[in-house]
Parts: sequence; C-alpha cells; structure tokens
Amino acid sequence: MIWAYAFVSAPILALLVFTLGPILFSGWVSLHRWDMLSPVETMPWRGLDNYVFLLTQDPIFMRSLGNTFLFAIGGVGANTILGLGFALLLNSRIRGRTLWRVLYFAPVITAPLALAVMFSVIFDRNYGVVNNVITMFGLPRQPFLSGPGQALPTLIFIAVYQYVGYYIVIFLAGLQGIPQDYYDAAQVDGAGKFQEFRYITLPLLRPVMLFVVVTNTIGALQVFDLVFATTGGAPANSTMTVVLYMYNTAFKFSRMGRASAMAFILFAIILFITIVQIRFLRDRTYQD
Amino acid sequence: MTGENRILSATGTGLRYVILAAGAFIMVFPFLWMINASLMTAGEIQLRPPVWLPSEPQFSNYTDLLATLPIARLYFNSLFTSGVIVLGVLFTSSIAGFAFAKYRFPGRELLFYLILATMMIPFFVTLIPVFFIVRQLGWIDSYQGLIIPGLTSAYGIFLMRQFMFTVPDELIDAARIDGASEPIIYWRIVIPLIKPALATLGTFTFIGSWNNFLWPLLVVNNRELMTLPLGINSLRSLYSDNTNLLMAGTAVSVIPMLAVFIFLQRYFIKGIALTGLKG
Repeated sequence: MIWAYAFVSAPILALLVFTLGPILFSGWVSLHRWDMLSPVETMPWRGLDNYVFLLTQDPIFMRSLGNTFLFAIGGVGANTILGLGFALLLNSRIRGRTLWRVLYFAPVITAPLALAVMFSVIFDRNYGVVNNVITMFGLPRQPFLSGPGQALPTLIFIAVYQYVGYYIVIFLAGLQGIPQDYYDAAQVDGAGKFQEFRYITLPLLRPVMLFVVVTNTIGALQVFDLVFATTGGAPANSTMTVVLYMYNTAFKFSRMGRASAMAFILFAIILFITIVQIRFLRDRTYQD
Repeated sequence: MTGENRILSATGTGLRYVILAAGAFIMVFPFLWMINASLMTAGEIQLRPPVWLPSEPQFSNYTDLLATLPIARLYFNSLFTSGVIVLGVLFTSSIAGFAFAKYRFPGRELLFYLILATMMIPFFVTLIPVFFIVRQLGWIDSYQGLIIPGLTSAYGIFLMRQFMFTVPDELIDAARIDGASEPIIYWRIVIPLIKPALATLGTFTFIGSWNNFLWPLLVVNNRELMTLPLGINSLRSLYSDNTNLLMAGTAVSVIPMLAVFIFLQRYFIKGIALTGLKG
C-alpha cells in the first residue's frame, strides 16, 4: 500500500536523523578522541580507552554514578511510599478530592528550573526562610544545598516535591480500578483493614507499582536541570550527577569521546536496571 | 458500630485531613513564598523572624524586571516553539500511528520494532550528535534548531497506534467505498475520532517542551531567542543579590502556566491516568 509508506516516511526519516543515526554516531565517537571542531574523518581512534579511563581512573565519574544512584533510590523510594500513601488517603471518603489533587499536582507541571531557583532561595544557608524559621526555635542554621552532607538529600526532597503529585494521580487511578467486590468479599470473610491492603490492594496494584518504579527510576537517573540550577554539582562534587558531568565534559571541556562513553555507560545501566525491575515485579505477580 | 469505634473512626478521619493539609501546605508554600518574596524589598526577604507579608507591596520589582528581561519576547519564543512542536508531534504521531494500526504493508513489523527501540533511547545518549547535526546545518541560534529535532516522538507514534485500534475498520471501509482517498480518510474520519487522545498527547508534549531547558541551553546564545527557562537561568547570576527580582522573574514565568492548569486540571489528570497506565 503506497499510502502507508507515504504516511510513515516522514516520521521514520526524522527518527533516523535525530535518534537512530545519532545513537550509532555517538557509539562511534565514544571510541575516539574528539573536540567537535576538528573534522569527523580526522578524529583519532582510542578503542575502549574512554570506557577504561572512566571506570578505573576517574574518581569524579565514580562519584557522580554513586550520587546518581543515591538520588534515584531516595527519590523512587519516597515517591512510591508517599505516592501510594496519599493515594490511599484520597481514595477514602474524603471531601474536596479535586482541590487536594490540584494542590499536590501543581509542581508536576512547573518547570524543574523554576522550582530549582525557588528552592535555592528558600533553602539559602544565610538568608533562606527555612533557616530563619528553624533558628527561631533555637535550632542551628543548616547549610542545606551548600553542605556536602545535606546537599544531595535536599535535592532528593526537591525532586520528590516536584513529582510525588504525579505518582499520587497514577496510584489513585490504579486504586479506583480495583473492583469493590473484592473488598466486600473480604469483609464478609472478616478481613481487617490491614489484611485487605496486604492481600487485595498490594497484589492488584503490582502493574501500577511496576510502572511507577520503572519510569521514576529511568527519569531520576537522568536528572540534570535541578542539579544544574541549584548546586552545579558542588560542594566538592557531592551532588555531581552523571548527566551533569557528561554535559560539563562535552560542552565545557570539549571531550566528546569521553562524554559519549559516559552516556553509553549510563544507558547500559538504565537498561539493566529496567530489565531487573520488570523481572522482579512481574515474577511476583505471577506467583500471586 | 459501638461508641468507641465511632470515636476511633472520627479521629481517623480527622487525622486524614491533618495529614493531607500538612502535605498540601508543603506543596503550596514554595509558590506562596515566591509570590510573597517577589513583592518584598531585598532586605525584607532575609528578616528573622520572617515577615509573612510585604509591609508595602513592591510592584516596582516587576517593572524593574521588565526593564532587564524581554518577558514578552520570552513568552513569544516559548509559545511559538512549543506550539509548533505540539502541532508537529500530533501530526507525525497520528499519521504514522494510523498507518501502523490500519494498513498491512511489507516491513510494517520491522519498522514498528524500530520505533519501539527508539522509544527506549534516552535523550542524553543522542544529545552530542544531534547538537553536532544542528550546528553543521547552521541552526544554532535559530527557531529551526529549537524546533526541528523535537517534531517527532517515538512515544507519540506508539501511543497513537494504540488509540487507532479503537477506530472501527467498518467506518474506514465505508469511506473507501464512497470514494474517499486515504489522506481524506485520515483527515476527515480518523482525526475527529481520536481527538481526546490527541488532546492528551498534545498536553504532555506542550508541558515537556515548555519546561525544556537543556536543549535550548545548548542551541540558543542570542537573547532574542531565549525561552522562559533560559530567561530564569540568566536571572540567576544577574540577581544573585536581588532575590526579590529573581522571584518576580520566576513568578512571571510560572504563574500563567499554573492558571491554565487550574482551569483545565480535570483533563490534565484524566490524561495522566489514561496514558500513565497504558504507556
């Protein structure tokens, strides 16, 4: 059918030029040394040197991988627990559900960059309103984003603040998809609230849980805007993340080969984690 | 229900509202503080104990801001870029989704798997090459550079294909018998039937593009082409001491979007629940 080819041709062409072609090119560049200014044909071959360097000799890359993992684990954990918790609250007999949802959802549609700027002002070490409130109660000033121990947890807080409303909405939709009959039957059998949650809600929410954990992990491992506009990776690389380090390596230091290798390492990690999560959460579903 | 149980359940309900209200307070506070601080003097923001309302609203902060940052220009750039990207994504996604769902043609499965594979590729892996392509094409500091790489979405094609299965084949066949050509069928029959799905995809694409920061940061150096997130970013260094002006800039960029959201929140949230669970 000629028309079918005509219909898919433009989108496929665009994806070839802007996604599939680039990923192949990126893989090729990761085996070279390249500053993007010298012609592509002349870039010197480096084999796996970029990968070897990053994985064995670059402490900042290791640091950024560790930070990125911590950021993802903290954020995904908090979003899942709080998202489900608040969804359960909103799914009970509660007034003003629409209003609550709007309030919790507002940060989701706000630019991460704008939230980053707002929170840098709110959490400022010297003049921030949070410090001005806690010192009134006799507590010491906290460095928050400027303290090596507190910066990453503060970033996790901001990220959870931004996205928890999204996960509340997803969990709420999942909860509303569970037929009431199951709970009625359980009540006839004399099940308590906790047993209902443990044996009906949780198992039936597994697909939603899978979606939440996987998409949130994939997103969290790619964090950039928030870190760029709050700490820039400081203090002492305690908040350096992989995509920010990649951005600096490529666009500040013009090391395209090394930056591309970073991208591929992170991509491989994301694929691996996604497959593991899908296996883990899906297998449990079959057991039930 | 015994009296004791009734009291327990009443406290339970009360506790629920307390938790919800505490959470909502945390959610709303940064926005309220932003507006509050944007109307204060630079000194007032830093007072301890904090002042919860400006002693005298400093509307001049906003006029000062307008003198430094071409807000109207930023709005135009953000609206134009996001608007064209939304139209492009809706068109390319729906027409390809239509072809994949409703036609049989050699290579269909292969091409569709190609699209699924593309969907898995995160943006940061292709960032350097796409930037290189755009630079080679001379599109740095141009609308083409901001817009063209964003005109297609593998996820959009996938989503549209799923929705196309809900369009009955009988309708399409009937139109064909009446002599309608394939593009007419797409435009007159299919598009009207999948409007809700288009609205959802369009909303997400718009939010994503509107809030996008990294790509414009790379492509745009010229102030005339800055989008809103770039504008806020430029204020960070400019107003590191004048947080009141920084907050005024953030408020100007954030509040109109929030207002739109509050108006259309029902559709937003329905769309999230729909695609979130399908995707």
